[in-house]
Amino acid sequence: MKKLRRILHVAVNDLRIMVGDKAFFFWSLVFPMMFIILFGLLFKASDSAPAVAELTVVNLDEGRWGAYFLDKIKTPTIELKIVRSEPAEYSRLIVLPPDFSAGIEARRAQKLAFKKRRDASTKAAARVETRLYQAVARMLSELVLYGDGDLAKFLDGHAEFRDIVQVKTRFPEKTVTVVPSGFDHSIPGTTVQFIMMMVIIYGGITVLEDRKNGVLARMLFSPLSKAEVFQAKLLGRWLMGMVQALILIVVGKIFFKLNLGDFGLSLLVLGAFALAMAALSIFIGSLCTKEDMIIGLAVLLANLFAGLGGCWWPNEIVPLGVRRAAMISPAYWAMDALHKLRFFQGGFGDILPHLGILLALAAILGAVAARAFRVRE
Amino acid sequence: MLEIKDLSKSYGDVLALDRFSLDLKKGEVLGLLGPNGAGKTTLISILAGTLGDFTGSVTFLGRNLFADRELKSRLGIVPQDMAFYEELSAMDNMLFWGGLYETSRAGLKRRAAELLDLVGLGARAREPVKAYSGGMKRRLNTAIGLLHKPDLLLLDEPTVGIDVQAKVSILDLIRDVGAAGTAVIFTTHQLAEVETTCSRIAIMDHGRILAQGSLDQLVRIVGERDIVEIMGEFAAAAFSEAVQDLTGERVELLSAGDGLASLAVRDTAEIPKIMDRLFRRRLAVTDMKIKSPSLETVFLKLTGRTLRD
Ligand SMILES: Nc1ncnc2c1ncn2[C@@H]1O[C@H](COP(=O)(O)OP(=O)(O)O)[C@@H](O)[C@H]1O
Ligand SMILES: [Mg+2]
Repeated sequence: MKKLRRILHVAVNDLRIMVGDKAFFFWSLVFPMMFIILFGLLFKASDSAPAVAELTVVNLDEGRWGAYFLDKIKTPTIELKIVRSEPAEYSRLIVLPPDFSAGIEARRAQKLAFKKRRDASTKAAARVETRLYQAVARMLSELVLYGDGDLAKFLDGHAEFRDIVQVKTRFPEKTVTVVPSGFDHSIPGTTVQFIMMMVIIYGGITVLEDRKNGVLARMLFSPLSKAEVFQAKLLGRWLMGMVQALILIVVGKIFFKLNLGDFGLSLLVLGAFALAMAALSIFIGSLCTKEDMIIGLAVLLANLFAGLGGCWWPNEIVPLGVRRAAMISPAYWAMDALHKLRFFQGGFGDILPHLGILLALAAILGAVAARAFRVRE
Repeated sequence: MLEIKDLSKSYGDVLALDRFSLDLKKGEVLGLLGPNGAGKTTLISILAGTLGDFTGSVTFLGRNLFADRELKSRLGIVPQDMAFYEELSAMDNMLFWGGLYETSRAGLKRRAAELLDLVGLGARAREPVKAYSGGMKRRLNTAIGLLHKPDLLLLDEPTVGIDVQAKVSILDLIRDVGAAGTAVIFTTHQLAEVETTCSRIAIMDHGRILAQGSLDQLVRIVGERDIVEIMGEFAAAAFSEAVQDLTGERVELLSAGDGLASLAVRDTAEIPKIMDRLFRRRLAVTDMKIKSPSLETVFLKLTGRTLRD
C-alpha cells in the first residue's frame, strides 16, 4: 500500500510537470488537430445520402413490360430519369434492352445492366438496388399469379396481392453497415500516432533529463527501490499517453461527432498500446545520452509506425502485401482493433488477438527497458 | 547510532575507500575534511544506498543499514550535485520530495514552509526553481534533505560554489539541526567551515581517516611549532636537498613543491639557518610566511597537501 502510494506519487508528478509545460497545449492538441482535419477531410466519404436517389433508365424496350417494370420501381424516394440512350453523366443507370418484353413473353431469362458511378453515394445506391430487387420480385410474382392477362384488372379485384412482395434489407453481421466518416478514422489514427509521439519523445527525454539531473538517483535516498522508480516511470508515461488519448477523444466527441464503436473496448486497446509505448520510451530514454538522439529516433519510429500502421489512411485500402508488412508496426494492431470495433461491429472476441499482441509487446519492451534503466550516467 | 566498519570500495585500480571506519553519536556534527579525490562522495553514496559493490558493514540505529529499506527514511541526504525539478517551484519540489516519505500532507506543507523560511527562500517559494541563483538552489538542495526529520543527515560539500550569505545560512542550518539532536556528517574541503560548525573533525585522504577529534585535539598533533611557508624560484628536489642537514627534531619538512615548501620549526631561530642553506645553493626566495598552528597546518602535516583549489 505504501509502495503503491509512492509509485503513484512519482507518476502523477511526471504527469503534472508535462501538463504544466507551456508547449503542452500546442503539441497535444493544436498539432494533432491539424492531422485530424487533414486526414479526416482526405478520407471523408461525404455520405449523407440525398433525400431522393436518382436512377437513370435507358428504356429501349418495345413492348409493354418495360413500362410495367418501371411502374414497380416508382417510389417517392427514387427519381426516375427515363431516357432513350445512355447519357454521359449519371449516378446510377439501368438499361432495359429492346427485347425486354419479348423475352418475358417467351419466358426467357433476362439480363439487366446496372451501373453505378464509383464516387456516388453508397447509401443512395443501396436504396436503389434494394428497390430494383423488390421490383423484379414483384413483377415475377405477379407474372406467376396471373400469367400474361390484364394484370391491372386482376389486382383491382385482389387488393391483397398488391404488396405481395416486400423486400426488407438486413445486412449480414460484421459487414460495413455505417459508412465511415473520415473523422472516425482520422481521430483514432491521430490519437494512436500522438500517443507514440508524446510518450516516446516527451517520456523518453524526461527519463534522460531526470537521470542527468540526479533526480532519479535522489529518489533512491527515500524508501523507493530502483524497481519502484522504474514502475513509477512506466506508470507516469502510460498516464501521459492516456491523457493525450483522452484529449483527442473528447475534442473528437464534441466537435467531430466521433464514434469509436465500443468505447470501453477502444480505451482498452489504447491502454494496451500506450503501455507498450511507455516501455519503449523508457528503453530509448535509458539508451540515449542526448536529447537530439531521442527526438530523431522518436520522430523516425513514430512516423514509420504511424504510416505503416494505418494511422494516416485505412489499412483496409492498402495492398495485401503492404498490409502484411504493416504488422511489424505496433500501431497496426491498435488501428486494426479500433477499426474492428468501429466499422465491423467487433466485440471483445474480435480484438482479443490484438490485445494479446499489444500486451505481449508491452511485456517484452518492459523487460528490455527494465534492464536498460539506469538512475545515473 | 552509526557505526561504519572497514568499508572498502574500489573503482578498477583506484581504491576510493580503504577500510574506512567511523562511529557517530546522536547530535554529533562531524566535519569530514579531505582534498578532492579523498573518497568523501564515495562514502556518502554508499551510505545513501546508491553505490554498490563494496565490502564492510554499516550499522544504523542498531540495524544493518543495507538490509532494511525502511531505515532509509531515517536518513537525510544532501547530494553534492544538486538534484530536483527545475520546472517546479521550491514549494512544489519540497512537497514532491517530502511526499516520498510517510508524512501527512498538511504536516508536510507546514514543515516545508518552515524550512524554506529557515533557509531564506520563503519569499520566493512559489517561483520555478530554474529562475533561482546558484546559492538559492544550494539552499533548496539542502532543505529537501531535511524534510522528513531524519535521525542522521549526510551532506556532501553543501557549500561548494556559493556566495557567502548562502554559505552562512547553510552552516547555521547544520548547527541548528545538530543542536536539535540530529547527527550530521558533512564533507568539505574548506577548513573554515569545519572550524566553526563541527563538534568533531575527521581528516581523510586516500580513502581513510588520518586523524580525528576536536579542533584542539587536532592542533596538538602539530605540537607547539610554527609553520614556515617559503615561496621562490626553486625545484622541489633542490629545496629538499638544501635543507636536508637541518631536518630532524627541530625542523620538519612538511611539504616541498616546485616554488612552494612548508616546514614546521620548534623555534623561529631556525629560520635564518634555513635561509642560509637556500642562499648558499642560490635558490631565490621571493616570500616567506610564518604561521601559528592551525587546522590548516594539521592538514598539511597529515596529507602533505595544502587545501587550496
Ligand atoms: N565513478 C567513478 N569511476 C572511477 N573512479 C571514480 C569514480 N568516482 C570516483 N572515483 C575515484 O575515486 C576516488 C574518490 O572519489 P570521490 O569519492 O569522488 O572523492 P571526493 O568526493 O572526496 O572528491 C577518486 O580518485 C576518484 O577519481
Ligand atoms: Mg566529492
